[in-house]
Amino acid sequence: MISQFFVLSQRGDNIVFRDYRSEVPKGSAEVFFRKVKFWKEDGQEEAPPVFVDGVNYFHVKVVGLLFVATTRVNVSPSLVLELLQRIARVIKDYLGVLNEESLRKNFVLVYELLDEVIDFGYVQTTSTEVLKSYVFNEPIVVDAARLQPLNPASIFMQGTKRMPGTAVTKSVVANEPGGRRREEIFVDIIEKISVTFSSSGYILTSEIDGTIQMKSYLSGNPEIRLALNEDLSIGRGDYRSSFGSGAVILDDCNFHESVRLDNFDMDRTLNLVPPDGEFPVMNYRMTQEFKPPFRINTLIEEAGSLKIVGGSEHTLRAKLTFSQEVHGNLTKESGPVSMTFTIPMYNVSRLQVKYLQIAKKSSAYNPYRWVRYVTQANSYVARL
Amino acid sequence: MKASRLTESSEAKQAGMSGHDSKYFSTTKKGEIPELKEELNSQYKDKRKDAVKKVIAAMTVGKDVSSLFTDVVNCMQTENLELKKLVYLYLINYAKSQPDLAILAVNTFVKDSQDPNPLIRALAVRTMGCIRVDKITEYLCDPLQRCLKDDDPYVRKTAAICVAKLYDINAELVEDRGFLESLKDLISDNNPMVVANAVAALAEIQDNSSRPIFEITSHTLSKLLTALNECTEYRAADAREAENIVERVTPRLQHANCAVVLSAVKMELITSTDVVRNLCKKMAPPLVTLLSAEPEIQYVALRNINLIVQRRPTILAHEIKYNDPIYVKMEKLEIMIKLASDRNIDQVLLEFKEYATEVDVDFVRKAVRAIGRCAIKLERAAERCISVLLELIKIKVNYVVQEAIIVIKDIFRRYPNTYESIIATLCESLDTLDEPEAKASMIWIIGEYAERIDNADELLESFLESFPEEPAQVQLQLLTATVKLFLKKPTEGPQQMIQVVLNNATVETDNPDLRDRAYIYWRLLSTDPEAAKDVVLAEKPVISDDSNQLDPSLLDELLANIATLSSVYHKPPEVFVTRVKTTAQRTEEDDYPDGSETGYPESSAQPVDSAASPPTSSSNVPHTGARQAAPPAAPVPDLMGDLIGLDNSAIVPVDQPSTPAGPPLPVLLPASTGQGLQISAQLIRQDGQVFYSILFENNSPVPLDGFMIQFNKNTFGLAAAGPLQVPPVQPGTSAATLLPMVLFQNLSAGPPSSLLQVAVKNNQQPVWYFNDKVSLHVLFAEDGRMERGSFLETWRSLPDSNEISKDFPGMVINGVEATLDKLAASNMFFIAKRKHANQDVFYFSTKIPRGIPFLIELTTVVGTPGIKCAIKTPNPDMAPLFFEAIETLLKS
Repeated sequence: MISQFFVLSQRGDNIVFRDYRSEVPKGSAEVFFRKVKFWKEDGQEEAPPVFVDGVNYFHVKVVGLLFVATTRVNVSPSLVLELLQRIARVIKDYLGVLNEESLRKNFVLVYELLDEVIDFGYVQTTSTEVLKSYVFNEPIVVDAARLQPLNPASIFMQGTKRMPGTAVTKSVVANEPGGRRREEIFVDIIEKISVTFSSSGYILTSEIDGTIQMKSYLSGNPEIRLALNEDLSIGRGDYRSSFGSGAVILDDCNFHESVRLDNFDMDRTLNLVPPDGEFPVMNYRMTQEFKPPFRINTLIEEAGSLKIVGGSEHTLRAKLTFSQEVHGNLTKESGPVSMTFTIPMYNVSRLQVKYLQIAKKSSAYNPYRWVRYVTQANSYVARL
Repeated sequence: MKASRLTESSEAKQAGMSGHDSKYFSTTKKGEIPELKEELNSQYKDKRKDAVKKVIAAMTVGKDVSSLFTDVVNCMQTENLELKKLVYLYLINYAKSQPDLAILAVNTFVKDSQDPNPLIRALAVRTMGCIRVDKITEYLCDPLQRCLKDDDPYVRKTAAICVAKLYDINAELVEDRGFLESLKDLISDNNPMVVANAVAALAEIQDNSSRPIFEITSHTLSKLLTALNECTEYRAADAREAENIVERVTPRLQHANCAVVLSAVKMELITSTDVVRNLCKKMAPPLVTLLSAEPEIQYVALRNINLIVQRRPTILAHEIKYNDPIYVKMEKLEIMIKLASDRNIDQVLLEFKEYATEVDVDFVRKAVRAIGRCAIKLERAAERCISVLLELIKIKVNYVVQEAIIVIKDIFRRYPNTYESIIATLCESLDTLDEPEAKASMIWIIGEYAERIDNADELLESFLESFPEEPAQVQLQLLTATVKLFLKKPTEGPQQMIQVVLNNATVETDNPDLRDRAYIYWRLLSTDPEAAKDVVLAEKPVISDDSNQLDPSLLDELLANIATLSSVYHKPPEVFVTRVKTTAQRTEEDDYPDGSETGYPESSAQPVDSAASPPTSSSNVPHTGARQAAPPAAPVPDLMGDLIGLDNSAIVPVDQPSTPAGPPLPVLLPASTGQGLQISAQLIRQDGQVFYSILFENNSPVPLDGFMIQFNKNTFGLAAAGPLQVPPVQPGTSAATLLPMVLFQNLSAGPPSSLLQVAVKNNQQPVWYFNDKVSLHVLFAEDGRMERGSFLETWRSLPDSNEISKDFPGMVINGVEATLDKLAASNMFFIAKRKHANQDVFYFSTKIPRGIPFLIELTTVVGTPGIKCAIKTPNPDMAPLFFEAIETLLKS
C-alpha cells in the first residue's frame, strides 16, 4: 500500500503528483529530492529505499526522471519497485515516448491512468490492455524525431533491460496520422553480457542476462506462438545438459504471466495472447560458457603509456597521465579495463526465436513481424 | 490586483517552498484566475474542458486554484467522462479546504452512483471516498451499500476499497451500517480483483482495529487459494494466508514479477519443517535471477538473501559486477563474507584481492576489511588472508595500506603471538599513515609487541612529537602504547617518553577521557609497577567476528518479515512504522482451522488445565497485540507480593508472567530430607517461555538466605536464564519464584531422557540435590500448528520407520471439545478428525525446540477407555518422552 506517487524532473520539479491517502506531510517531494541531490554531491549513493521522518521513499530512475512512491507501512519493497517500473511502462505504452515533455503535455491522461492503476494506495491493475477500457483521454503525441540523440551513457543505464535503440516510439492507443494502425509486432532478444577476464586473458566468469521483449500493435489480440531452439534446456542439473555439446543451457528463466507453457517441455514453444504494450515475455540467465564477442588482452608498458590489444587486429593505445607521481605498482594503480558496446543483430547465447506464428484472422491478414537481436555489455572487464 | 498578490503568497506557503522555487510563480500572468473563471463558465463545452485542464495543471505545480471551486463544480454535471474525471480530481484536492461548497457536489455524486454506465458509478463512489469531509461521508453510505452489490465487478471492487476509505474517516459508521459483513461476502466473489480488494480492505481495517474482525478460517482460505490461481499480478502477495500451501506457491517462483518471487520465497521459508529442505534448492536460482534485475530490486533481493543465508547457508553463486552501484557492491561483499568457508576461501580471497584494487575507494576499503573478517572467522585460512593483505600493502596504495593495518591489528588480537613476523613489513609504511584509525592501530601494534620491535621507542617517539595535534583516538593509543613500552623496557629512553606523554595527557589536554586514563596510569606506575604490569599487560580476551551478525531472535522476526521493508532495513517493523502491519505467521495464531467443519464454535474458552500448563494468553489476542508483547527479557516476579502473602497476579503488571494459582507444585525435596527446607517445583510454560516454578518453605528454626540453583546436563540443555532471585526466607514462611529457563545451554549426550537433576544451595545448609522430570509438553512451541496440506505432506514424506504407536488402555476421552481445548492450550494443535468404524480418529500437530515437528494420531471411542496414540516425527528417539507427556496431558 502506498501513500503517494510522484514524478520528479531532473531539476526536482513535480511533473506529476498524486496523493492517495493524505497521510504523508506536505512537501514530501521536496524532502526526497533534497536527499537524493545531496547524495550526488558527495559522490555517495545511499541505498534505496530512503527513510525520512516515518516516511519511506522508493524510487526508480526512468529516462532521467525520478518515479517515486511513499508509504508509511511495512510494505514489500520489491512490489513497490516493480509497481513503479510498471507505471513507467504503462505511461510509455500510452504516450509512445516517455520524457518530461510528453508527461507534461499529457498530464491529464497520466492522472487518469494513475487513478485506475492505484486506488487508496492499493494496486488495481498495471495492464495496458485492461486499462484501455477505463481510460479515455487520447495521447498528445510528442514527435519522436525531435528527440535529442541519446548520449552513450544513457544507453548503458544500469539494469534497464530495455534500450532506446529498440524501443518503439509509438503509442499503443493513438492512431497513425492516416487514421489506421499498422498491424505489427516487435520481438527483441536483448542480452546483456558480463565477462571478467583475468590478467592473462582467461575468462574468469561470464554470464548472460537475457530477456525476450515484446511489443504488440496487433488488433484483436490474436494468439501467438513463439518457438525457441529445440536444444534449449533449463537448469544445470538437467540430464540433457550433460550431453549438450551444442545445446543452449539456461540456468534459470521466468515468464510473463500471459505465457502458457503447455508445450514448452515438449517442443520449446511459448503460447501467448500478448497484451497491448511492451512487456518481457521471458527473462533468462545463463552461465554456460560462450564465445565472448571481444577478447581483451592487456599489456602494460611501464613507460607510462598503457596499451590495450583488442581482438587480433586492433590495438587501442591509451595513455594514462597521473596527476602525481605513482608510488609502487603501476599495474595495480591503473585498475581494471572495462569495455562497453552494443552489437545489433547478434546474440551470444544462441537462443533463437525459430518462428513467430500469429493466429490468422483471414488469409489477407499478414502483420509485420520484427524479430531483432541485440547484445550489450553489462560488466565487461579485464583485470590487469 | 490585490487579490492576485494575495493568491501568490498563499501559493508559496501551500507548496511549502522557499525562494528558489519561486520561478513557477514568476510566470503567473496577472489575472490568470479571473481569466480561468470566465472560461469555466463558457457556454462551449470544449472551452470549459480546456479551462478545467488548465486548472488541474496549475494545481499540479502547486498553485492555489481553490478560489475557482464553485466554477469547477458547475462543470461537474456533464455526460463527458473525461471532463467529469477532471472535475473529480479537482474536488478530491480542494474539498477539504472548502467543506461547505463541497456539499454542492453531493447531489451529482449520488446521481452518478446510479448512472447506467458502470464506469460512472464506480467513479462516483471512488471519488466520494476520497473526499474526507464528514458531511459528505453521511451521503456516501447509501450509494456505497448499493455499489457493494452492483452487477459490475469493476464497481464492486471500487466499492470494496471505498469501505476501507470510509473506515479511515469514520470507523463507527462502517460498523453500524454493516459494511464489514458486505466486505466479508465479497471474499466469495467470483471476480479475483473484487476478492483481492476485499481482502486488502479487511486486512487494513483489522490493522487499525483492536477487535478481531477478519479471521481466516479454512473456508475463506480455500476461497483465497482459488483466487490466487486466477490473480495474474500483484495479488499473489496478498494471499500470504496461503503460507503453508507450498505446492500452490512453488510455481510462482518462475514468475517474472520479482515481488511475487520474493513473496513465494517467504512463504516457503515460513514452513520450517524438513519438507522445506528440498525447496531450498528450488529457491536459489530464482533468487539469483533477481540479481540481474534493476539495481534497486537487486538491492532488495540482496538484503533478503543476507537474512536467508544467516539461517540457511545455501550457496548462492554471484559475483560483483564492475558497474554495480556502490550499495549493491557493499551488500554483495557482506554476503560473500557470510558465505565464506574453509572450502571456498581461496576463491573468495582471490575475488577480494581483485576488489581491493578497484577504483572505488569505499568499496576497496570494505574489501580489505572483508579479508580481515575472513581471517578472524576462519582460523585455518588466517595465514592465507594475511599473505593477501601483505601483498596489498606492497602495492603501496595509501588507503589500502591503512585499511590493511587496521584489520591486521584485529587479526593480532584474534591470534596473539602468531603472526608477529610481519610487523617489520608494516613498519615500512609508518610514514604514510594519516588516518586516525590506521595510526591508532599501528601504535597499538607497536605497544603490544614493544619487546620484539628493536626500535619500538624510536617509532613511538616519532609520533610523540605531534601528540597535542593528534585526534583523541590516536592520543589514547599513544598513551597506552608508551606505558606498555615502559613496562616492557624500563630503560631511560622510555622513561623520559612516559613523562612527556603523561604530562601532555594530564596538564595540556582538555579531553577528560585522556586525562582520566593518564591519571590512572600515573597512579598505578607510582604506587605499584608490578600491579601496573598485571593490569596493562593482562591477557586480552579473544575476539570473534560478530560484526553485522544479527541477534537470533531479531533474525527470526526479520525472516518472518521477509520481502517487506523490514527485511531491507534489517529492523523490526515497529521501529520504523507507526502503524505496525504484522505479517508474521498469522494463520498460526488464528483459531482452529477446521472449526467450521468439526462443528464446534471457534471458542476462546480458557482451557481447564493443570498447573503444568497455565493458560496461554496468546490464543485469542489480535495479532498486533501478540506481536508487540514479544517475549520479555527474563522477567523478575514481584517478590514483595510473595512475602506479604498476597496473590501475585494482583500486583504483578499484566504483561509479566504471574505465578499460577493452580494446584500445588509437586514436592521434590521434603522437609524431612532438607533439614526443614521443603522445595516444590515444576517446569511450566507461559507466554512462549519456559519457567521453573519453585516454592521454598522454611520449616527450620533459622532464616535461610543466599539461595542459588544449578541444573545438571540434560537432554534439552535446560538451564537457568539468570540467577535465582529469592529473598531471605524466615522460619515458618515460604517464598515462590518463577525462574526463566533457557534451552540448549548444557546438553547431555546419550539417548533422550526426561531426567532433570537440580542442585540448590543456601548460606545456611549443605547443597541439596533432587530429581525432577521434564515433561515434553512444556516445550511444545506456540508455532506448532500445521496446515492440513503440509501435515499430509509431512506425514507422507516421513518413512514408516519413523512411526511409533502406543496404547493407553486405561485412558478415556470424555468431552471432545474440552480435550481439544486443553491440548491446544498446551500447544498441541488439532488438525482434523475422521470416523473409522465406530472409532474417532483425531490428528494433531506440535513442535518441540529446534523446530522438530510431531504429527499425532489419536484413535479412540469417545467415552470408552482405551486410546491408541500413533506419532510420526523426524526424531523418533523422543517418542517415549512424548508418550509420557500426552499421558500427563490427557490425565489432567
